[in-house]
Amino acid sequence: MRVQTPQDLQNLRRQCLAEQEKFPKRVLVCCGPGCLANGAAKIVEEFRRLLKKKRIKDFSVKALKETGCHGLCQQGPLVVIEPRGIFYTKVKVKHVEEIIERSIRNDEIVTDLLYTDPKTNRTIESYADIDFYSRQHRIALRNLGKISQYSIRDYITRDGYQALAKALTIMTPDQVIEEVTTSGLRGRGGAGFSTGRKWATCRKAEEQPHYVICNGDEGDPGAFMDRAIMEGDPHSVLEGMIICAFAVGSQDGYIYVREEYPLAVQNLQLAVDQANEYGFLGENILGTNFSFNIKISRGGGAFVCGESSALMKSVAGQVGEPRAKYVRSVLKGLFDKPTVLNNVESFANVPVVISEGGKQFATVGTSKSTGTKAFSLVGKVCNTGLIEVPMGTTLREIIYDIGGGIHNDRPFKAVQTGGPSGGCLPESKLDLPVDFDTLTEAGSMMGSGGMIVLDDHTCVVDLAKYFLSFLVEESCGKCIPCREGLYQLHRLAVNISEGTATEEDLEKMEKLSEMIVIGSLCGLGKSGPNPFLSTIRYFRDEYLAHIRDKHCPAGVCRELIRYEVIPEKCDGCMACISTCVVEAITGKKGEPHIIDQDKCDKCGACYAVCNRDAIKVI
Amino acid sequence: MVHLIINGKVAQAEEGEMLLTVIRRQGIEIPALCHHEAVEPFGACRLCTVEITKEEWNGWKNHVTSCLYPVESNLIVNTHSPTVIELRKTLIDLLLARCPNSLKIRQLAEEYGITKTSYEEIPDADNCILCGLCTRICDQMGFDAISTVDRGHGKRVAPPFDEAPPDCVGCLACALNCPTNVIEFTDEGNYRTIWKKQFELITCAKCGKKTITKEFAEVLSESRNIPMSYFEICDECHRKELAQAMGGICSWSREAVS
Amino acid sequence: MKSRFVVTPNLCTGCRTCELACSFAHAIDGKLGKSRITVLNGGMKDLWIPVVCLQCDDPACVKSCLVDALRRNPETGAVELNQEKCVKCMACVAACPFGCSLFDEQHDMVVKCDLCGGDPVCAHFCPSEALSLKPITENQPHRQQMPTSAPSTVK
Repeated sequence: MRVQTPQDLQNLRRQCLAEQEKFPKRVLVCCGPGCLANGAAKIVEEFRRLLKKKRIKDFSVKALKETGCHGLCQQGPLVVIEPRGIFYTKVKVKHVEEIIERSIRNDEIVTDLLYTDPKTNRTIESYADIDFYSRQHRIALRNLGKISQYSIRDYITRDGYQALAKALTIMTPDQVIEEVTTSGLRGRGGAGFSTGRKWATCRKAEEQPHYVICNGDEGDPGAFMDRAIMEGDPHSVLEGMIICAFAVGSQDGYIYVREEYPLAVQNLQLAVDQANEYGFLGENILGTNFSFNIKISRGGGAFVCGESSALMKSVAGQVGEPRAKYVRSVLKGLFDKPTVLNNVESFANVPVVISEGGKQFATVGTSKSTGTKAFSLVGKVCNTGLIEVPMGTTLREIIYDIGGGIHNDRPFKAVQTGGPSGGCLPESKLDLPVDFDTLTEAGSMMGSGGMIVLDDHTCVVDLAKYFLSFLVEESCGKCIPCREGLYQLHRLAVNISEGTATEEDLEKMEKLSEMIVIGSLCGLGKSGPNPFLSTIRYFRDEYLAHIRDKHCPAGVCRELIRYEVIPEKCDGCMACISTCVVEAITGKKGEPHIIDQDKCDKCGACYAVCNRDAIKVI
Repeated sequence: MVHLIINGKVAQAEEGEMLLTVIRRQGIEIPALCHHEAVEPFGACRLCTVEITKEEWNGWKNHVTSCLYPVESNLIVNTHSPTVIELRKTLIDLLLARCPNSLKIRQLAEEYGITKTSYEEIPDADNCILCGLCTRICDQMGFDAISTVDRGHGKRVAPPFDEAPPDCVGCLACALNCPTNVIEFTDEGNYRTIWKKQFELITCAKCGKKTITKEFAEVLSESRNIPMSYFEICDECHRKELAQAMGGICSWSREAVS
Repeated sequence: MKSRFVVTPNLCTGCRTCELACSFAHAIDGKLGKSRITVLNGGMKDLWIPVVCLQCDDPACVKSCLVDALRRNPETGAVELNQEKCVKCMACVAACPFGCSLFDEQHDMVVKCDLCGGDPVCAHFCPSEALSLKPITENQPHRQQMPTSAPSTVK
């Protein structure tokens, strides 16, 4: 079914819509990363099995769709019944039959599976009425949760490839670039470079050929925005890339997917095959003389290969080591040729920019950071999941209005943004708008969109130690400041967490950090000290407590804490005794227990298992 | 022709030259451990970092590795600014933690006023500073026998799978250009051993002196069209042979004249 | 008016002043360099031959260098070794059929005659003109065969 002209595309779209009209009721099972880990695959299987057995009028198994990440991962596995938008949460395999009988065969609602608003304690029928969703503005994530992740036809029903048709048939490459520039779209991978300017520079580059690469390496711990888009709406990425290739004059593109995302590779390859079949990729696209092919290139499991020059070496089959970028990769990139490298989310935005026009796109967000940004909101927040909000939304709105506040009502401590290259911001900064520039001034950065919420049980020294150890592990090892400097910085952080550091060590770390920032070859090294620098900026007292008082206020650093039983609260249930692997707790049933401090290895298992609140951390 | 200012003095350079070349031409010495003219600049050691600025930058400074930074008109370069010196000291200090026994690093440290590292010494470290010169030179020569393996702090130079490298010809270019003399090799009797591989040394047919390895000679002979017979005599005996040959002609012409 | 380096072995007295001059001219930090010219006996009493790089038309040393450290200087006609590029693999030392690429142990480097950049010191000091710098006109070739059918020693 090859689409040869824009008219063909319109016909195809009508056809796809008509197919959908035949079965107006649809069951969308969320198969995003969170729900998949929670058992969504088994739920899909059960739906298939039962739907085959039962005969439901006006419903076909074709109307059962495995979608990408719907967003509210905390409440998963999620099942949505369209067109009413009935939102079922925490679905289990045993619920499937009831859902089929009541909501598919009939028009009833299984109220037990509905979302309960914690503020009002009332159930909400449709996801559109939940704060978590109603306060979002989904552009890059527009199709996630709404279409089958395997179907190009679903993509086409939601105006898929319309932007491509517009660009190829009534626009010139320069006009496309102008539209993207007007939109103010800045790189969503974190660097925030003007996408339009990047494309323009590549287009002007004389050396041929030009390449287009999509950076799907997404290495930040806790970030899964790009994964969700690659798995759940792969065609949006392809469409963005094809439009880019048309604009900069490229015939060959690559999507570089990190090794740890096999599903993304699978879904992207399927999408590429479908796009080839339908004529959106390949020779003479939509009847023009523009041809473009996309290959998928897999990473080898290295965070540093998310850095553009290292990525390009990896695509070329060489060791992924960055190079000094005094000559930019847009001029000398893949195979030393002009290359446009953009992030998954950036490409996912492009079709919208072209369809509605740059000016319209720029009406959302702020003047310097237009559009929206996807975030993976995780950590100690009530509503963990995948969100997208206009640039300029404040941290407070994201964490409290959308995120639902801190889990278990514990006090907010900080929010970590931007992955290992970012930093922590305390409560006093909660009213900062999230965009490319404001958070950076405050000592963190928006980065690629990871947002980790921390409560008072998180120790910032421990957090800095964790991120530093991550960076030490992931450093490519080429340059001294990063390889040796971050290693030593991490060692010093370990000393602080073990209570063996001095105040001079803190000064040493600050000086070393400065030198690492100045001396490092690439972004990984240059932003490597950030986990330390941002936490020492706002939580110096906590560091000093570890150093001077040998005390960990958050009760985390093992060398500095003690677990003790509160005798008044302990009812002698022996739950902790049976949990303790080093047999450090003694006591008879019904009598208060005692923890032997010499034997205790501070694992915290007793603390976790006690539901009488009878164990404290000091 | 490009004009720039280095440490307050005007310097001239060709378009496309790197800062380090021009700096050295001015007679200014800065360390550059991973630099060698035989290979492309690498930017790994960062010791050649210099401070640059331009009048129109309004006081903003950048710090770049001079080995890789192409010259620009009106660039103002400071090779020994306080920040640069502090950076070099930090780098050397970090290197000392890694290679406390390296003579070369200790000498460099002394130049910059450091006697002992202020950091934790790396357990089981050797003196390799991971400048990459050995692997880059080996690549440049076309053998590609060794490379760096692993990543980050565990990075090291090794032959494939830590076994005798099939592509090594025993030319010693890696060992002889290592700034800290880490690569071991032995020449004993007729054999040379390096990277756990044994090579036969060519013995001069006239005097018995050992020259290069047979493998190296064979590669040179085949790929560069040099008769293998050239390699069978050592340089000293070649000179003697030339003297004998020319002597023969001179004595013949003397006879002819007399 | 160009000039060319002329070696006339028949005039050589074996005094070895050339070797001394070359060593001194290539001293580094006070330590004498290895002489690039060697005076050897030609097989008969009082027959001395100054052996020095022939600056071959098709140099084996250039071919043998895998890092492109040996190149002909178009002005002097000499094949020069770029010390900064040299990796000391000894390929040229082994490959030169005349043994004129040498290893200087004192300074741990490979050396060869580069005609001192156009004004060879050895010719300057040679008392018998066995080594000399003779002017030639533009049309005269850089090197010339002897009027016999023997390998050229006159350039």
